[in-house]
Amino acid sequence: MTLGSQTIGILGKKLGMTQIFQEDGSCVPVTVVQAGPCKVLAVKMATAAEHPEGHRAASVNRGKKGGKTAKTRAGDGYYAVQLGFEEKPARLCSKPELGHAKKAGLESGMRLVREFRLKQAPTQKPGDEVTAALVSDWKHVDVTGTTKGRGWAGTIKRWNFGRQPSSHGNSVNHRTGGGLGRQQSISKGVPKGKHMAGHYGVEKVTVQRLQVVKVDTERNLVYLRGAVPGHNSGYVVLRKTVKNDRFVTAKTKK
Amino acid sequence: MNILRQLELEHMKATIPDFGVGDTVDVHYLIKEGDKERVQIFSGTVLSLQGGGTRRSCTVRRIVSGEGVERTFPLHSPRVADIQVKERGRIRRAKLYYLRDREGKATRLQRNLGKLQHPRSGKGSGIQATDTPSAE
Repeated sequence: MTLGSQTIGILGKKLGMTQIFQEDGSCVPVTVVQAGPCKVLAVKMATAAEHPEGHRAASVNRGKKGGKTAKTRAGDGYYAVQLGFEEKPARLCSKPELGHAKKAGLESGMRLVREFRLKQAPTQKPGDEVTAALVSDWKHVDVTGTTKGRGWAGTIKRWNFGRQPSSHGNSVNHRTGGGLGRQQSISKGVPKGKHMAGHYGVEKVTVQRLQVVKVDTERNLVYLRGAVPGHNSGYVVLRKTVKNDRFVTAKTKK
Repeated sequence: MNILRQLELEHMKATIPDFGVGDTVDVHYLIKEGDKERVQIFSGTVLSLQGGGTRRSCTVRRIVSGEGVERTFPLHSPRVADIQVKERGRIRRAKLYYLRDREGKATRLQRNLGKLQHPRSGKGSGIQATDTPSAE
Protein backbone atom coordinates (compact mmCIF):
# COMPACT_ATOMS: atom_id res chain seq x y z
CA MET A 1 0.00 0.00 0.00
CA THR A 2 1.18 3.46 -0.78
CA LEU A 3 1.07 6.01 1.96
CA GLY A 4 -0.42 9.39 1.25
CA SER A 5 -3.63 10.90 -0.01
CA GLN A 6 -5.18 11.82 -3.33
CA THR A 7 -4.69 15.53 -2.99
CA ILE A 8 -2.28 17.87 -1.33
CA GLY A 9 -3.23 20.12 1.56
CA ILE A 10 -2.39 23.70 2.22
CA LEU A 11 -0.43 25.58 4.85
CA GLY A 12 -1.87 28.50 6.71
CA LYS A 13 -2.09 30.71 9.70
CA LYS A 14 -4.88 30.93 12.24
CA LEU A 15 -6.13 34.51 12.31
CA GLY A 16 -8.69 34.10 15.05
CA MET A 17 -12.31 33.39 15.74
CA THR A 18 -15.46 35.33 15.08
CA GLN A 19 -19.00 34.56 14.13
CA ILE A 20 -20.94 35.04 10.93
CA PHE A 21 -24.62 34.85 10.14
CA GLN A 22 -25.97 32.51 7.52
CA GLU A 23 -28.79 33.59 5.26
CA ASP A 24 -31.33 31.69 7.31
CA GLY A 25 -30.31 33.72 10.34
CA SER A 26 -28.33 31.02 12.08
CA CYS A 27 -25.12 32.14 13.60
CA VAL A 28 -21.97 30.14 12.96
CA PRO A 29 -18.84 30.31 15.11
CA VAL A 30 -15.92 30.36 12.71
CA THR A 31 -12.16 30.32 12.78
CA VAL A 32 -10.60 32.36 10.01
CA VAL A 33 -7.49 30.79 8.54
CA GLN A 34 -5.16 32.53 6.15
CA ALA A 35 -4.54 29.60 3.78
CA GLY A 36 -1.74 30.28 1.38
CA PRO A 37 -0.49 31.52 -0.92
CA CYS A 38 2.00 28.68 -0.71
CA LYS A 39 4.89 27.98 -3.02
CA VAL A 40 5.82 24.53 -4.18
CA LEU A 41 9.42 24.20 -3.05
CA ALA A 42 10.03 20.70 -4.32
CA VAL A 43 8.29 17.59 -5.54
CA LYS A 44 9.28 14.08 -4.57
CA MET A 45 9.02 11.30 -7.12
CA ALA A 46 9.23 7.58 -6.50
CA THR A 47 11.69 7.03 -9.30
CA ALA A 48 14.20 9.35 -10.85
CA ALA A 49 12.68 8.99 -14.32
CA GLU A 50 9.51 10.70 -13.20
CA HIS A 51 11.27 13.89 -12.24
CA PRO A 52 10.98 16.73 -14.71
CA GLU A 53 13.83 17.25 -17.11
CA GLY A 54 16.82 19.06 -15.70
CA HIS A 55 16.07 17.90 -12.22
CA ARG A 56 17.71 14.55 -12.59
CA ALA A 57 21.35 15.53 -12.68
CA ALA A 58 22.83 16.43 -9.36
CA SER A 59 26.43 17.18 -8.85
CA VAL A 60 28.12 15.13 -6.20
CA ASN A 61 31.58 15.19 -4.74
CA ARG A 62 31.58 18.95 -4.96
CA GLY A 63 34.79 20.45 -3.67
CA LYS A 64 36.42 17.07 -3.38
CA LYS A 65 39.36 15.82 -5.29
CA GLY A 66 38.33 15.03 -8.79
CA GLY A 67 35.92 17.94 -8.92
CA LYS A 68 32.30 17.94 -9.90
CA THR A 69 30.86 14.75 -11.27
CA ALA A 70 27.45 14.68 -12.79
CA LYS A 71 25.65 11.73 -11.35
CA THR A 72 22.13 10.54 -11.95
CA ARG A 73 19.90 11.57 -9.10
CA ALA A 74 18.15 8.72 -7.41
CA GLY A 75 14.40 8.67 -7.01
CA ASP A 76 12.93 9.73 -3.69
CA GLY A 77 11.05 6.49 -3.17
CA TYR A 78 7.75 8.24 -2.57
CA TYR A 79 5.46 10.89 -4.02
CA ALA A 80 5.06 14.19 -2.24
CA VAL A 81 4.74 17.90 -2.72
CA GLN A 82 6.73 20.18 -0.49
CA LEU A 83 5.03 23.48 0.21
CA GLY A 84 6.37 26.61 1.80
CA PHE A 85 4.28 29.29 3.46
CA GLU A 86 5.23 32.88 4.27
CA GLU A 87 8.43 34.10 2.80
CA LYS A 88 11.10 34.98 5.27
CA PRO A 89 13.79 37.56 4.72
CA ALA A 90 16.88 36.18 3.02
CA ARG A 91 19.07 37.37 5.89
CA LEU A 92 17.28 34.92 8.18
CA CYS A 93 17.72 31.98 5.83
CA SER A 94 20.55 29.53 6.07
CA LYS A 95 22.52 28.92 2.91
CA PRO A 96 21.05 25.45 2.37
CA GLU A 97 17.60 26.99 2.70
CA LEU A 98 18.42 29.62 0.11
CA GLY A 99 19.82 27.01 -2.23
CA HIS A 100 16.73 24.89 -1.84
CA ALA A 101 14.47 27.87 -2.52
CA LYS A 102 16.52 28.86 -5.53
CA LYS A 103 15.79 25.53 -7.17
CA ALA A 104 12.11 26.45 -7.04
CA GLY A 105 12.95 29.83 -8.51
CA LEU A 106 12.48 31.76 -5.30
CA GLU A 107 14.53 34.58 -3.84
CA SER A 108 14.45 33.44 -0.24
CA GLY A 109 13.24 30.65 1.99
CA MET A 110 9.90 30.09 3.64
CA ARG A 111 8.97 30.18 7.30
CA LEU A 112 6.83 27.05 7.30
CA VAL A 113 7.78 24.10 5.11
CA ARG A 114 5.76 20.90 5.02
CA GLU A 115 5.46 17.91 2.73
CA PHE A 116 2.21 16.32 1.62
CA ARG A 117 2.53 12.63 0.77
CA LEU A 118 0.59 11.57 -2.29
CA LYS A 119 -0.54 8.24 -3.68
CA GLN A 120 0.21 9.22 -7.25
CA ALA A 121 2.77 11.39 -8.99
CA PRO A 122 2.09 15.07 -8.23
CA THR A 123 1.05 17.39 -11.03
CA GLN A 124 2.60 20.42 -9.39
CA LYS A 125 6.01 21.70 -10.32
CA PRO A 126 8.51 23.51 -8.12
CA GLY A 127 7.70 27.22 -8.12
CA ASP A 128 3.96 26.71 -8.57
CA GLU A 129 1.62 28.60 -6.32
CA VAL A 130 -1.05 26.90 -4.21
CA THR A 131 -3.86 29.14 -3.02
CA ALA A 132 -7.01 28.83 -0.96
CA ALA A 133 -8.87 28.00 -4.17
CA LEU A 134 -7.67 24.46 -3.52
CA VAL A 135 -10.02 24.26 -0.55
CA SER A 136 -13.01 25.83 -2.28
CA ASP A 137 -14.70 22.58 -3.28
CA TRP A 138 -13.89 20.72 -0.08
CA LYS A 139 -16.70 20.29 2.38
CA HIS A 140 -14.62 19.37 5.38
CA VAL A 141 -10.98 19.61 6.39
CA ASP A 142 -8.67 18.19 8.99
CA VAL A 143 -6.64 20.89 10.68
CA THR A 144 -3.28 20.25 12.29
CA GLY A 145 -1.85 22.82 14.63
CA THR A 146 0.24 23.26 17.74
CA THR A 147 -1.83 23.70 20.88
CA LYS A 148 -1.41 26.56 23.29
CA GLY A 149 1.22 25.95 25.96
CA ARG A 150 -0.08 25.50 29.50
CA GLY A 151 3.28 25.05 31.15
CA TRP A 152 3.48 22.64 34.05
CA ALA A 153 -0.13 21.65 34.63
CA GLY A 154 -1.77 19.59 37.33
CA THR A 155 -3.84 16.47 36.78
CA ILE A 156 -7.13 18.37 36.80
CA LYS A 157 -6.25 20.54 33.84
CA ARG A 158 -4.08 17.99 32.08
CA TRP A 159 -6.10 14.81 32.43
CA ASN A 160 -9.54 16.03 33.47
CA PHE A 161 -9.22 14.53 36.93
CA GLY A 162 -11.81 15.49 39.49
CA ARG A 163 -11.21 17.55 42.56
CA GLN A 164 -11.08 16.15 46.04
CA PRO A 165 -13.40 17.45 48.76
CA SER A 166 -12.96 21.05 49.84
CA SER A 167 -13.88 20.19 53.41
CA HIS A 168 -14.93 17.20 55.53
CA GLY A 169 -11.51 17.00 57.02
CA ASN A 170 -9.57 17.17 53.78
CA SER A 171 -6.22 18.71 54.42
CA VAL A 172 -4.18 20.26 51.59
CA ASN A 173 -5.21 17.53 49.18
CA HIS A 174 -7.77 19.43 47.15
CA ARG A 175 -6.23 19.28 43.72
CA THR A 176 -3.74 16.46 44.10
CA GLY A 177 -3.78 13.48 41.82
CA GLY A 178 -4.73 10.94 44.46
CA GLY A 179 -3.50 7.37 44.60
CA LEU A 180 -1.19 5.88 42.05
CA GLY A 181 -2.82 2.45 41.93
CA ARG A 182 -1.47 -1.00 42.80
CA GLN A 183 -2.04 -2.33 46.25
CA GLN A 184 -0.24 -5.54 46.97
CA SER A 185 2.32 -5.81 44.23
CA ILE A 186 4.00 -2.59 45.27
CA SER A 187 7.24 -3.93 44.01
CA LYS A 188 6.01 -3.35 40.51
CA GLY A 189 6.01 0.37 41.19
CA VAL A 190 3.84 2.97 39.54
CA PRO A 191 1.94 1.67 36.48
CA LYS A 192 3.35 2.67 33.12
CA GLY A 193 1.52 5.60 31.58
CA LYS A 194 -0.01 6.69 34.88
CA HIS A 195 -1.57 10.12 34.40
CA MET A 196 0.26 12.69 36.45
CA ALA A 197 1.02 16.38 36.47
CA GLY A 198 3.54 17.61 33.94
CA HIS A 199 4.08 19.74 30.92
CA TYR A 200 0.91 20.29 28.95
CA GLY A 201 0.25 21.95 25.62
CA VAL A 202 2.54 22.80 22.69
CA GLU A 203 1.57 19.50 21.14
CA LYS A 204 0.78 18.69 17.55
CA VAL A 205 -2.96 18.13 17.43
CA THR A 206 -5.26 17.41 14.52
CA VAL A 207 -8.93 18.30 14.60
CA GLN A 208 -10.81 16.17 12.13
CA ARG A 209 -13.67 17.11 9.91
CA LEU A 210 -14.16 20.81 10.40
CA GLN A 211 -16.78 22.18 8.08
CA VAL A 212 -15.63 24.69 5.48
CA VAL A 213 -18.15 27.51 5.79
CA LYS A 214 -16.73 29.90 3.26
CA VAL A 215 -13.63 30.36 1.13
CA ASP A 216 -12.40 33.79 0.12
CA THR A 217 -10.17 33.00 -2.84
CA GLU A 218 -9.28 36.64 -3.38
CA ARG A 219 -7.60 37.02 -0.03
CA ASN A 220 -6.88 33.34 0.59
CA LEU A 221 -9.09 33.10 3.63
CA VAL A 222 -10.86 29.95 4.76
CA TYR A 223 -13.70 30.08 7.27
CA LEU A 224 -13.95 26.90 9.30
CA ARG A 225 -16.76 26.06 11.64
CA GLY A 226 -15.50 25.62 15.17
CA ALA A 227 -12.13 25.90 16.83
CA VAL A 228 -8.66 25.17 15.52
CA PRO A 229 -5.70 24.18 17.72
CA GLY A 230 -3.25 26.83 18.80
CA HIS A 231 -3.07 30.53 19.38
CA ASN A 232 -3.93 33.21 16.89
CA SER A 233 -1.30 33.65 14.17
CA GLY A 234 -0.11 30.09 14.84
CA TYR A 235 0.69 27.94 11.83
CA VAL A 236 -1.78 25.29 10.75
CA VAL A 237 -1.99 22.63 8.06
CA LEU A 238 -5.27 22.01 6.25
CA ARG A 239 -5.92 18.66 4.62
CA LYS A 240 -8.97 17.22 2.96
CA THR A 241 -10.62 15.26 5.71
CA VAL A 242 -10.00 11.55 6.00
CA LYS A 243 -13.22 11.09 7.92
CA ASN A 244 -15.63 12.46 5.37
CA ASP A 245 -16.65 9.36 3.45
CA ARG A 246 -17.36 7.24 6.45
CA PHE A 247 -19.67 9.83 7.93
CA VAL A 248 -21.50 10.45 4.70
CA THR A 249 -22.21 6.77 4.08
CA ALA A 250 -23.43 6.30 7.62
CA LYS A 251 -25.87 9.13 7.10
CA THR A 252 -27.17 8.04 3.72
CA LYS A 253 -27.73 4.51 4.99
CA LYS A 254 -30.17 5.93 7.47
CA MET B 1 -6.52 47.58 10.90
CA ASN B 2 -6.66 44.21 12.51
CA ILE B 3 -7.66 41.81 9.72
CA LEU B 4 -10.20 40.02 11.86
CA ARG B 5 -11.88 43.30 12.76
CA GLN B 6 -11.91 44.12 9.06
CA LEU B 7 -13.57 40.80 8.24
CA GLU B 8 -16.15 41.33 10.95
CA LEU B 9 -17.01 44.71 9.51
CA GLU B 10 -17.72 43.03 6.21
CA HIS B 11 -20.17 40.69 7.84
CA MET B 12 -21.89 43.42 9.79
CA LYS B 13 -24.80 45.52 8.72
CA ALA B 14 -23.64 48.85 7.38
CA THR B 15 -25.80 50.74 9.82
CA ILE B 16 -27.60 49.89 13.00
CA PRO B 17 -30.45 52.14 14.10
CA ASP B 18 -29.35 54.63 16.70
CA PHE B 19 -30.88 53.57 19.97
CA GLY B 20 -29.63 53.03 23.45
CA VAL B 21 -30.33 51.47 26.79
CA GLY B 22 -33.55 52.79 28.29
CA ASP B 23 -35.26 53.43 24.99
CA THR B 24 -38.59 51.90 24.17
CA VAL B 25 -38.21 50.17 20.84
CA ASP B 26 -40.06 48.04 18.31
CA VAL B 27 -37.87 45.18 17.10
CA HIS B 28 -38.99 43.86 13.73
CA TYR B 29 -38.03 40.24 13.71
CA LEU B 30 -38.47 37.91 10.73
CA ILE B 31 -40.06 34.63 11.65
CA LYS B 32 -40.75 31.64 9.49
CA GLU B 33 -44.17 30.04 9.45
CA GLY B 34 -44.10 27.03 7.21
CA ASP B 35 -42.56 28.43 4.06
CA LYS B 36 -43.82 31.95 4.60
CA GLU B 37 -41.92 34.69 6.31
CA ARG B 38 -43.48 37.47 8.27
CA VAL B 39 -42.40 40.24 10.56
CA GLN B 40 -43.07 39.94 14.23
CA ILE B 41 -42.81 43.04 16.31
CA PHE B 42 -41.44 42.83 19.80
CA SER B 43 -41.75 46.11 21.63
CA GLY B 44 -40.29 46.87 25.00
CA THR B 45 -37.56 48.60 26.93
CA VAL B 46 -33.91 48.05 26.10
CA LEU B 47 -32.27 46.68 29.21
CA SER B 48 -28.77 46.24 27.93
CA LEU B 49 -26.54 46.44 24.93
CA GLN B 50 -23.61 44.14 24.95
CA GLY B 51 -20.91 42.61 22.80
CA GLY B 52 -18.87 44.18 20.03
CA GLY B 53 -18.59 43.69 16.32
CA THR B 54 -20.87 41.03 14.89
CA ARG B 55 -21.69 39.85 18.39
CA ARG B 56 -23.44 43.07 19.43
CA SER B 57 -26.83 42.34 20.88
CA CYS B 58 -29.60 44.05 22.82
CA THR B 59 -31.92 42.72 25.48
CA VAL B 60 -35.48 43.99 25.31
CA ARG B 61 -37.97 43.58 28.12
CA ARG B 62 -41.72 43.88 27.99
CA ILE B 63 -44.64 42.81 30.11
CA VAL B 64 -46.91 40.23 28.48
CA SER B 65 -50.13 39.60 30.40
CA GLY B 66 -48.55 40.41 33.71
CA GLU B 67 -45.43 38.39 33.06
CA GLY B 68 -42.08 39.93 32.26
CA VAL B 69 -40.62 38.66 28.97
CA GLU B 70 -37.09 39.36 27.82
CA ARG B 71 -35.60 38.66 24.44
CA THR B 72 -32.07 39.13 23.27
CA PHE B 73 -31.56 40.09 19.65
CA PRO B 74 -28.24 39.85 17.82
CA LEU B 75 -28.23 43.21 16.09
CA HIS B 76 -26.37 42.02 13.02
CA SER B 77 -28.57 39.01 12.44
CA PRO B 78 -30.39 39.10 9.10
CA ARG B 79 -33.50 38.14 11.07
CA VAL B 80 -33.56 41.47 12.83
CA ALA B 81 -35.11 43.52 10.05
CA ASP B 82 -35.51 46.83 11.80
CA ILE B 83 -35.47 48.51 15.17
CA GLN B 84 -37.67 51.55 15.62
CA VAL B 85 -37.32 53.87 18.56
CA LYS B 86 -40.66 54.75 20.10
CA GLU B 87 -39.43 56.74 23.03
CA ARG B 88 -36.12 57.86 24.38
CA GLY B 89 -35.39 57.16 28.01
CA ARG B 90 -33.04 59.08 30.23
CA ILE B 91 -30.95 56.67 32.22
CA ARG B 92 -28.14 56.76 34.71
CA ARG B 93 -26.67 53.32 34.31
CA ALA B 94 -25.59 51.04 31.48
CA LYS B 95 -27.71 48.01 32.36
CA LEU B 96 -31.26 48.38 33.59
CA TYR B 97 -31.53 45.02 35.30
CA TYR B 98 -33.15 46.72 38.31
CA LEU B 99 -36.33 46.98 36.23
CA ARG B 100 -36.80 43.26 36.71
CA ASP B 101 -37.58 43.83 40.35
CA ARG B 102 -40.12 46.53 39.65
CA GLU B 103 -43.73 46.47 38.65
CA GLY B 104 -46.25 48.86 37.18
CA LYS B 105 -45.55 52.53 37.55
CA ALA B 106 -42.13 51.98 39.04
CA THR B 107 -40.85 50.69 35.71
CA ARG B 108 -41.31 54.05 34.04
CA LEU B 109 -38.17 55.81 32.96
CA GLN B 110 -37.61 59.49 32.63
CA ARG B 111 -38.26 60.50 29.08
CA ASN B 112 -35.66 62.20 27.04
CA LEU B 113 -37.44 64.49 24.66
CA GLY B 114 -34.32 66.30 23.64
CA LYS B 115 -31.75 65.53 21.02
CA LEU B 116 -30.26 62.08 20.61
CA GLN B 117 -27.16 61.67 22.61
CA HIS B 118 -25.15 60.25 19.84
CA PRO B 119 -23.22 58.06 20.11
CA ARG B 120 -24.36 57.13 23.52
CA SER B 121 -23.94 53.42 23.66
CA GLY B 122 -20.33 53.17 22.66
CA LYS B 123 -19.18 51.25 19.66
CA GLY B 124 -21.67 49.31 17.64
CA SER B 125 -24.51 51.74 17.91
CA GLY B 126 -24.99 53.52 14.65
CA ILE B 127 -21.60 52.35 13.53
CA GLN B 128 -20.62 53.01 9.97
CA ALA B 129 -18.73 50.26 8.26
CA THR B 130 -15.82 52.06 6.68
CA ASP B 131 -15.24 49.47 4.03
CA THR B 132 -17.95 47.05 2.97
CA PRO B 133 -17.00 45.28 -0.24
CA SER B 134 -19.44 42.62 -1.38
CA ALA B 135 -20.56 41.38 2.01
CA GLU B 136 -22.78 38.48 1.13
